[in-house]
This record gives sequence, C-alpha cells and structure tokens, in this order.
Amino acid sequence: MLEDILTGKKSLFETGMQSVLRGQESRLRRIVIQNGNLVTNVRSEESGICARVYLNGAYGFASTAEYTAEAAAKTIAAATKNARYLDKFNTEKKNPYPILEQKTIVSPRMIIDFEQKRLVDLCKEIDAHIEKTYPDLLSRVVAYREDTMEKIIVTSDAADGHVAYPRTTLYVTLNMTSKDGQPVEVSDAVGGFGHIEDNYSDLAKIYEKIAALYKDLCAKAEGVYASAGVKTVILHPDVAGMIAHEAIGHTVEADLVQGGSVAGPNLNKKVASELISITDFASTAFGDKAPLPVYIDDEGTEARDAVLIENGILKGFMHDRESADFYGVRPCGNSRGYAFSDEPLIRMRNTCVHPGKDKLEDMIASVDDGYYLINTGNGQADLTGEFMFGITMGYEIKNGKLGKAILDTTVSGVAFDMLNTVDMVSDTVTWNTSGTCGKKQAMPVSMGGPAIKCKIMIGGR
Amino acid sequence: MANILDIAEKTYAYLNEKEGLKADFTISETETNEITVKDGKFTLFRTLFDNDVSIKVIKDHKKGIASINKCSEEQIKKAVDDAIASAESGDADDCFDIAPGLEPEKFKMGVLEPDIDKLMERTQELSNTIAEKHKKIRLIEMFAKYVKGHYVYMNTGGTKDDCDFGYYLIMLEFAGTDGENTTGVASTGVIFDSLDKELITLGNIEKELTDAENSLNPIKVSEKFEGDIILTPGCVSQMVSYLCYNAVLDPAIINKTSVWLDKVGEQVASPMFTLSSKPYDERIILGERHTIDGFRSEDYTLIDKGVLKCFATSLYAANKCGVNRAANSSQDLIIEAGDTSFEDMIKGVKKGLIVGSVSCGMPGANGELAGVAKNSFYVEDGEIKGAVIETMISANLFEMFKNIKAISKEQVCDGGSVIPYIEMSGITISGGTE
Repeated sequence: MLEDILTGKKSLFETGMQSVLRGQESRLRRIVIQNGNLVTNVRSEESGICARVYLNGAYGFASTAEYTAEAAAKTIAAATKNARYLDKFNTEKKNPYPILEQKTIVSPRMIIDFEQKRLVDLCKEIDAHIEKTYPDLLSRVVAYREDTMEKIIVTSDAADGHVAYPRTTLYVTLNMTSKDGQPVEVSDAVGGFGHIEDNYSDLAKIYEKIAALYKDLCAKAEGVYASAGVKTVILHPDVAGMIAHEAIGHTVEADLVQGGSVAGPNLNKKVASELISITDFASTAFGDKAPLPVYIDDEGTEARDAVLIENGILKGFMHDRESADFYGVRPCGNSRGYAFSDEPLIRMRNTCVHPGKDKLEDMIASVDDGYYLINTGNGQADLTGEFMFGITMGYEIKNGKLGKAILDTTVSGVAFDMLNTVDMVSDTVTWNTSGTCGKKQAMPVSMGGPAIKCKIMIGGR
Repeated sequence: MANILDIAEKTYAYLNEKEGLKADFTISETETNEITVKDGKFTLFRTLFDNDVSIKVIKDHKKGIASINKCSEEQIKKAVDDAIASAESGDADDCFDIAPGLEPEKFKMGVLEPDIDKLMERTQELSNTIAEKHKKIRLIEMFAKYVKGHYVYMNTGGTKDDCDFGYYLIMLEFAGTDGENTTGVASTGVIFDSLDKELITLGNIEKELTDAENSLNPIKVSEKFEGDIILTPGCVSQMVSYLCYNAVLDPAIINKTSVWLDKVGEQVASPMFTLSSKPYDERIILGERHTIDGFRSEDYTLIDKGVLKCFATSLYAANKCGVNRAANSSQDLIIEAGDTSFEDMIKGVKKGLIVGSVSCGMPGANGELAGVAKNSFYVEDGEIKGAVIETMISANLFEMFKNIKAISKEQVCDGGSVIPYIEMSGITISGGTE
C-alpha cells in the first residue's frame, strides 16, 4: 500500500496557483498460454509522482519515476516552473476555477497481491480443462491480465483522496476450422473489480461460460456471411454497452464537445427513442456497487453520476474542472490519468443504458428478418456520431426464431439516428468490466446495458 | 539522473551470481518535454522523467519477466528475484532461449541536442499556418514533444548495447468544420530529427489537412457494388498490420491459424508488392539495433514481389514451430514504391473509393474484413466526386493484397515507416441500402 508522503507537501503549493499532487502505483500481471505453451509470464510494477499546476488558463505538469518526499517537492517545483514558462505565451488570462468541497475520500478497499505461481496455476488449470473437454479445437488461448492502480491525490482547493482500483480479467479464445476449411474464432472475458479470489473462486461458473463459448464456436464454424445493408437487429447487452460507451459516451465528453462533436448543439434536445436513458455511473449503479467504482477523480472532484440521456433527451456532458467551468456546471469526477506520468483527461467510468420492460424472447420473436448480435470485438466512433463495432458472434433471426450463426462482420451507423430507431429494450442489464478505453491514454472502464432492438447497418457480402 | 551504465553492470553481476540462468535486461532513462496546443493556444507544458527496467530470465528452460521503473540497486535486485520467481512458477519449454553474446556496441540515434525554444517556435508556426491556410480546419489538439533517452541492453552471453537517442514528434488531431458541419476526427503524426523545415511539410500533414477540409458536406453512397479502392499510406499501414498479425507474427504461427503456414516461397500477394523491415534505412529515425531476443537487427524482406520469403517470428516461435527467426522485430516497415502516380491511380478508377482509414475490428484468422470507410472519397470515372459518410467496405484481407492494381510512385515517410498509396480491386462497397 502506498505510504502517504504527499499530504505534508501541500505547503509547497504556491499561493494563487491551483495545484494537484498525485502519487500512484500501477501493477500489471500478465499470463498467456497458447495451445498449452506458457508464452507470456510477466510481472510489472511502476510508481511515481506527478504535479499539475494551473495558472491563468494553462497548465504546467511534471512527473518523476521516484516516490519519495524529495521527489514530490522537486515535481511540484518543476510543474510550477512549467506553468510560469507557459504563462509567458498566454495573452488571454483566465480566472481560477471555482473552489470545490475539501474533504478526504478513501476507497473501501486496497490492493492484494498474489504470487505469480498461483496466477499461472489458475490459467494452467483452465487450459487443461479446455484441452481435455474440447479436443477438436484448432487452437486455444487462456490469458490473464491484472491491471491495478492505487492513487493518493492531494489538492490545493478540492478534495484529497487515497483510492485503489483492482481489476482482473481472464480471456479465453477458441479456434476451430470452419466447414470451408477456414479458421474461425470466438472469445470471451470473465472477471472484474477485485482480485483472483473475488472473481475465480468458482471454476464451475467459468467452465459454464466456456461451454457456451464452444457451442457458439461450433455454430460459427457452420456460419454464413451476413447480408450487407440496413437491418433490424437485437443487440445483446454487451453490444448495447459498447454503444453506450463508444457511440454516445465519447460524443458527450466535454473536451470532444468543444472539439465540435455532434452532441454540442443537441443539449436538452431529443436525440434518441424515449425508451433510452444512459448514465455514466460513479461508485454505485441501480442500487448496487458499480462494476469499477470511482470515488474521486485526479483533480480532487468527488465522483457523482453523470446523467447523459434521460428518456431520449440529451441532458448533459462529462466534464473536468476546465470544461465544467466553461459550461457553468458542477463537475462529476470524470477527470482521470492512467499512468503516474499522465495528465488527467475526461474519461468514462461505468457507462450504461438503463433497462426497459421487454423480455428478450419477445424481442427476438418480433423480428421477421434480421440478426441477433451477441459479441463485439471492439468499437470506434467519432465526432459526427458515426460509429462501428466489430461483431464476432451473432445469429440470423428468421420469422422470429434464431437461425444460422454469422461470420465476423461489422455494424455501423450514426449514434443518434440509430437510437431513434429503438423500439424495444429488455429488462435485464449485463455489465462488461473488461473494457480498456483508448482515448490518448488507456483507462479501465466498464460498460453495460440491456438488449435493445433497433435498425443498424451491417457489413457483409 | 542515474548512471545507468554502472547500474547495468551491477545488475549483470547480480544475475551472474545466480546459477544456471540465461538472462537479458534493458535499463533506460528518458526525459520528455511536451507542449500541447488547443484552439491555437499553448495549454499544457509537461516535463516527464522516467526510468524503465525490464528483466527476462530463463531458468531450467522456464521463462519469467519482471519490469519496474526504479533504478536503485535494491529494487533491481528485487526485480531480478521476481523474474526468477515468475520463471519458477511456469512450465519448462526447451524453446525458450536468448541470443548468443554480441560484441559490445555504442549507438547514437536521432537528435541528441534539442532546441526546445525552436520546437515551440515551429509548433506555434504550424498552428498559425493551419489557421491561415486551412481555415476550415478545427485543430482539436496538437502536441509536440522532444524525447531524449539512454538505454543499456545486456545479456548473460556478454552483449552490451549502449544507446543514446533523441527525437522530436508532432501529433495533430483535427476535423474539418465550416461552422455548421463537422467532419469525423482525423489524426496524423511524424517523428523527426531536424527543425530545419516547417512542420507542415513533414509526413502527410498538409495532404491530410486538405482532405479533412474537402470532407465537409459528404455524400452517401446509395448502392452496393464491387469496385476499386485506393488506400492512403495510413490505411495501407493499418491493413499491413492486420495482415502481419494474422499471417506471419508469432501468435498466428504458434497457434497454426495462419493461412500462410505452408506458403513460404509461394506467391501470396501481387507481384507488385514488396514489404520489408529495414531498421537501417536512412528514412527511419530510430531503427531497431537488436531484436527482443538479443540478436543484432538486420534489414530483411518479408514479401518480395508477392512471394512470401519467411515469417516475422521470434526466436521462441522459430524454435517451437521449426520456422525461421526474423532478422528484426518487423517494426520498421517499408513498402517499395510502384510506377503509377497517385493522380493517375485516381484517373484509372471507374467506380470506387479513396480510403483514409477503415473503422473496423481486427479481422479474424480467415481475413474477413468489414468496416466503415473513414476520411474517404467517392471516385467515379476517374474523378473525385466528394467525401463519403455511412459507407462500408467488405473484403478478404488476403485477397486484397493479391488484387493490387497499382502502387504509387509517391511514398509517405513518417519517421517510422515508408509507405505508398495502393490500389486494390474487387472490394464490396455498400451505402445505406435496406
């Protein structure tokens, strides 16, 4: 656990300069077993200190790979010097940000480390199960990734905090030869907040997921190409969650709104079906702990939920202190940095479409000719709201029933246009906690939602 | 700053105290100065001091890796012990190995004496030039940095590479806008080692800014058809990375999912296509000097006139699968120029697209690819008709490289790769058809 050597350095913050000092330790544990071969077996640890100083509209920033009281003092001095250097170029001076509530926030749990052998043994046990149970696979990969962060945040004019974000994810990839002699692949991830004992104490549940994955793979090996065009689809919660993050979430990050995102002119306007509500949750969601709870951000803002879309109306953006000041709203704690040397950016946390009232079976039964899209490999969106997701598992829907599996394809659309076509929303939310957002820096995020029925453009032959 | 040569020698000595180890390690220190520009104003100036220590050990044919960002003797010894503990937790595999020792060498790469004030001046100049000459560009964010570093790589065979390096980098994120309409986000970046030229002349910056301005008021392709596409150098780079991952890099070979598994020596792409990795090419600013396994890097050609010459595999994959070990880590890619000008390529397109990038997931091992054409233009009868939106392309990655129609004379060098435009046929292009 990080020792607090930073709070005592507040006296080094210069008067009139809004300053933040952050100490951070990040740990990475990575294991990859390919076809029974342990090809990656890595332990990585890094820690350091950064300081950010705001002066008249610009920031000075500095970081060092040391975690000592002396390094903290030097880092504050370097960031302050950089802020003054930049101020020489600044012809339009701005006022300081409004002062935030000053309190100390501590997350309820810290990080527990485990011996590498235990992590390797877990992966080997799962790999051995797959090899024994599914001998007809072309190849298999079992991978384990643990990316944890612990931060101490000390500010001049906002909250202080000591928080930890432990996360583990286990990835399973199965590969089989298709009926056409081509390799086809499916993947799934299991895990979430916490450590190995939180997430993998019951291997039977993991084996159930692997069995379902294998069943999908067999169907995909007999799969057909999707037919290109605009189709009626049911998006599985994992895909709906990806839409909440990629297609909506990024367009309502205030720095991208200022960059010209399509969301800018649509605040308080109808942008989606009234069945759609989306929130970026902080530490709780729907009465439970959020999948990756955030309690304070790296500017010292206490984290609160950010309501993005409510009953189809665009209600707000996600902010840091700078953009909140610009738009005249209260920040919700979205400003986070990944490595100790990263400046905080506006980032999502737990972004989710709210559940509706429909049953998934009824939704599938309502489609004459379309697709049920189950799994997505990745997604991207841009300022126009145009998005795409890779679809790695899905089925045809013919006359209200699931048909043949489809081969890998891509879906795309314009976010608000697509959300306006939503006419059914299922009553159950599923979260995906293995997400890593790639906006300039990496950042662990979760995303979730119910199944939704909509029209979307699908690529294919 | 730490004396990393001295630290490296102590680490080497500590490793040699352990019995029966093969090991290599890199110890580095870097200093980064970075300026961020938003809306034409300097908004952030960062100074970052970092260290990195990465240690790989092989003990009893078991491999473990540990990395930290501290350079004290005590912490490095702990990292060595962690790497050994990791190795001991794994399985023995005779295929784990490192290179034999090389003669110690010293390298100096890039620019080692920076001019930060000049970099600020050039960055401001670029911002002003964009504001003056590209009035329909919204420069969302731009950052310029200078990175200076020193690393020592050693292995238990006796190799000692001692390298000083430094480089400048400019990265722009921008969109076209006329006040009412906005294009999608485009980005471009270049690594460089001289501040003699205006930054707008580097890489493909000027062209990509112009393309973004011309992307306002896009048209929709209302039909589905099979046509030609011209990939820009950025998009070629994207497709080549997918090709390599699925066909010639370690995972595809070890998992035996590569469709080129038995194709070495055979024609796998158009005879026009030659792909090499050349870390010693003068256009590559920071070329690799040793592979991750510790071999001295050498230039090599992966695909020569469409013929697959070898795989891009590491020592481990080579030992495991009985294939070649690549002569370098395949990061410094160069595609040979063709004999058609970019302008003539466009004239030759009956119906198709110029594609700046494809928004898509990584294709699977079978190479099936479907994605949204981004920063792209519709071409008909040899003329650019306008930018497109909501337009998808579908094709098979491996077929695309077989169906090359032309490669441009022009190449774009971004300091890390040298890539031309490539025209391919037989691509399914579809708009919003029900």
